[in-house]
Amino acid sequence: MKISGSYTLPVAQDRAFALLQDPVMLARAMPGCESLELVGENEYAMRMKMVLASLSGLFDGKVRIADSNPPGSFRLIVEGKGKIGFMKGDGLLTVTQNNTGSHVQYEGDVQVGGTIAAVGQRLLDTTSRMMIRRFFEKLSSEAAAVSQSVA
Amino acid sequence: MIPQEFDYSAPQSLEEALSLVASGDRKILAGGMSLIPMMKLRLATPAEVVDLGRIAGLNNIAESGGVMQIGAMATHHAVETSPVVRSRCPLLSDTAGHIGDAQVRNMGTLGGSIAHADPAADYPAALVALEAQIRLVSAHSDRTVEASEYFLDAFTTALEPGEIVLEVRVPVEEASEGYCYQKLAHPASGFAVVGVAVRVKRAGGKIVMARIGITGMGPHAFRARAAEQLLEQGASTEQAAAAVGEGEDANSDLYASADFRRHLAQVHTRRALAVALSRAS
Repeated sequence: MKISGSYTLPVAQDRAFALLQDPVMLARAMPGCESLELVGENEYAMRMKMVLASLSGLFDGKVRIADSNPPGSFRLIVEGKGKIGFMKGDGLLTVTQNNTGSHVQYEGDVQVGGTIAAVGQRLLDTTSRMMIRRFFEKLSSEAAAVSQSVA
Repeated sequence: MIPQEFDYSAPQSLEEALSLVASGDRKILAGGMSLIPMMKLRLATPAEVVDLGRIAGLNNIAESGGVMQIGAMATHHAVETSPVVRSRCPLLSDTAGHIGDAQVRNMGTLGGSIAHADPAADYPAALVALEAQIRLVSAHSDRTVEASEYFLDAFTTALEPGEIVLEVRVPVEEASEGYCYQKLAHPASGFAVVGVAVRVKRAGGKIVMARIGITGMGPHAFRARAAEQLLEQGASTEQAAAAVGEGEDANSDLYASADFRRHLAQVHTRRALAVALSRAS
């Protein structure tokens, strides 16, 4: 499944780029993220609890950052596995400065398998876009909160 | 296809049910047309299921003072066939008749469907078009939320933990109004790929009121307000339908792309308007 979209974060380009790679911020912004720990260079172990309608599942996974090209772009490689299915994703994030903040463009390929994909095909797209949207909304409110406390 | 072990309770009163759902890993069973399949696939693994089916009165349907009150546990079949709903809220009974299949309509409930909030469910289109209100209660609160503010996102509603959908209140449609629900049903599931609920009122050859609810197209049901306004300003149904879904996020899956869904919303709006206008007097 191809995923693409964009979101504008209310911060400058270098700040947006740093935020998108900041494990503390990511852990706060990612829906259902229970822990995110550094396990190697640019590599994190993640535990996520997804709760959606009556569905709930625990996922263990890895997040890796590659081809980092500050402050413009990087690749995010995600892998997760849980009782109800697995997912693998590889995406390119591009950050550009615009007059209201930073424009984050994402484009990638996600594979979802297991029970959740077999029976949830109808809902994968809606759900994944909802989670991405929530992630960015949370990230931008966290970013705004931080810049306020600094100022 | 065997669910993980779970406890089952069937409270006899609303108070008992509310105190149960106030805490713990408990899911409410209100018909089970979505919850049970998910449990069988082990996508949902609640520790306890609280069945609302034994609480008397939760499925009451009554009208008073121009407002139809439909208990959350009223089945789709009851909403479809109830004489009072058919005569006073025909759009809602029309919509209920399009849900799933006969088995689902006999078991599934209005409250269960809107608590689950599947983005492709049929009811939400009608409820936003009818400007319905949804009454939510918990052990220590009792509030009413507008339908258009209740459906927030895919599977996400204004329901807070510990709250139960108690009833849906629908202002009755005027007898002179025209109504229609149209959808493209997914061939396997019967869910709406896109569903459109329409109400119109005419006076002196003009449309004086139009309400259009769209489900299945985006992450949650919404009112096509731009199209409603165009109709009320005298635009043709073609012009109004062309404005449906503009600027709205559309879902995309193996069965229907985002563009196709937007197209379906416009086509079904046109069809629903044609039927509704022919019914309006």
